[in-house]
Amino acid sequence: MTDPVRILGFVNHIAPSADIEAQIEQAFAWGVDVVVAQGTGSDWGPYWLGSGQQVAANQAANVEPYVRAALAHGVPFVFSLGIAGADVHLEECLRGFDALCARNGWAPRIGVLSGEVSRDYLAGRIAGGAVVEPASAGSGHARLTEADVHEAVRIVALVGPEPVMALLEQSVDGVLTGRALDIGLFMALPMLRGLPTAVAAVAGKLLECGGLALEPGDSGRAIWAQLDETGVEVRSCSPDARATVRSIVSHTFYERGHPTREENPGGVLDLSAATYRETELGVRCEGAAWHPAPYTVLLEGARREGFRAVSLLAVREPALLAQARSWARSAEEQVCRAARFAPEVAAGRLRIHTRIMGLDAVLGELEPHDGVTGHEAGVLIDVVAATEELAREACYYAFIRMFIGPYPGRKTTAGNAAAPIMPVVVPVSEVFQFSIYHLLPLDDPLGPFAATVTTFPRQGGIPTMGGDHEAR
Amino acid sequence: MRLGDAASVIRSKNAGPFSVTIDLFFPDEATYAVARGSALLTVAGVAAAYRVAESTVAGVWFDDRILAAKVTLSRWSSSDDPFCSDLFGAHLHTPLADGLLDEGAGAVGAGGAGHAGGPSVAAGGDVAQ
Repeated sequence: MTDPVRILGFVNHIAPSADIEAQIEQAFAWGVDVVVAQGTGSDWGPYWLGSGQQVAANQAANVEPYVRAALAHGVPFVFSLGIAGADVHLEECLRGFDALCARNGWAPRIGVLSGEVSRDYLAGRIAGGAVVEPASAGSGHARLTEADVHEAVRIVALVGPEPVMALLEQSVDGVLTGRALDIGLFMALPMLRGLPTAVAAVAGKLLECGGLALEPGDSGRAIWAQLDETGVEVRSCSPDARATVRSIVSHTFYERGHPTREENPGGVLDLSAATYRETELGVRCEGAAWHPAPYTVLLEGARREGFRAVSLLAVREPALLAQARSWARSAEEQVCRAARFAPEVAAGRLRIHTRIMGLDAVLGELEPHDGVTGHEAGVLIDVVAATEELAREACYYAFIRMFIGPYPGRKTTAGNAAAPIMPVVVPVSEVFQFSIYHLLPLDDPLGPFAATVTTFPRQGGIPTMGGDHEAR
Repeated sequence: MRLGDAASVIRSKNAGPFSVTIDLFFPDEATYAVARGSALLTVAGVAAAYRVAESTVAGVWFDDRILAAKVTLSRWSSSDDPFCSDLFGAHLHTPLADGLLDEGAGAVGAGGAGHAGGPSVAAGGDVAQ
């Protein structure tokens, strides 16, 4: 009989609630064997992976109270970091972790796990005959080619539980990873201790968003669970929230295309026969099944699409509001027809799009309304072009046509709309696409992911991190 | 009755970059029964509400225990599209919410089919899988 494993879970890209110390204290009063939190994801879109930037979440600050408690109690922590989770993102978070450790006088021994996949490794796998199929029918992707790999700026994989387990086996104080499978972080210690994969996986699914699975849902709150051979009991660490059957079952739906079936590396988590019942302090789930399948990891790769510039106009003149869509469309057409832009449009180097806040900004082409119904509306001119210079020029051209160009029945001949922002054209950023969203088969779940054990705060960077590291 | 008025929670969110999933929770058995039997909460009904092809609708599911339904669609414009209007997919519920529940129509289409098992089974009536 394997001993139960107790997990304290939270989300490290969301700031903890004000009473987090009390929640952590409650969890440790029940007992904690590992503290786990996810901090990577694709939900923010491909920009972050392509640009090397990350949202200003300050993940090092968010984990501080949890790391303090874990170190004080001598239990390991497992965190993924950096949103897109490539080495450049992870390294920025690790520098924050260096500073956190230095400030607190901590010297933890940490396993650091990269989620980045080098282009050379992946191209080599494809050249060697690996079949890398699209992960989503909706992506429109074909089987991955070496050309796709070389076009990508960066590529990461959702690392499974096994590389985390390999680091936990080295008795580290914690594991910090780049891009990783959220539930895999939670699965690692229970699997290492010999609990069933199905229990580890369903626990991960219930805990991965922290207090969002509770009533009321709030990812700033922590969540606690105890896993055993047959199931998992989930509890709220806060007296202001509780686990209910409804909150827990509805969380199994959250951000998932299918309510009871989830494909993971090495198997499918099947909740079609799962049961949920309320206990004295929480909710217990039993009956999860795991159907083994070939081991694959999900790859995410970003390719540059161009540079974005935008301009914003606000309209309140009724005569113009009545024809806002055709007025904006006319400006798009004038850009596309202009001699200086037409060849760029034809070559696919320039695209312009207008969205009318007050008409079709949310649903776009699917919007059933054909006119503005309110008393004012905003128009966002959105240009994506091969270069920043071209994007800014085309955006300004569209702005000036809309600002000063004639429209049927015009009386506002000094200017057609309000311009709330100067510069009227705002250069936004490089634009990226998920050009890779594919499943990579791995014979060894440890895969090509660079792993190292280091004491923090580090002296300089980690030599195995960054750039095209070698396959292990 | 509008679906948006009948449901107590309607949450829309990405399920990966290329799908959007809409979870619906109902306040009581009676309202849930109307929703479960509606023509709106079928593959054909959802496709009509969004004015997309039925092949865009990945499925409609119900969970009798927690009075919930789930609708998943392929995204017509995802975060991959430079001009995607809703990167998190958090505001794509409104065409469905505006749909009418045909009260008294009874079970319509495959979505009204029975349970896959006893009360502990999460999803009855899998559609289009």
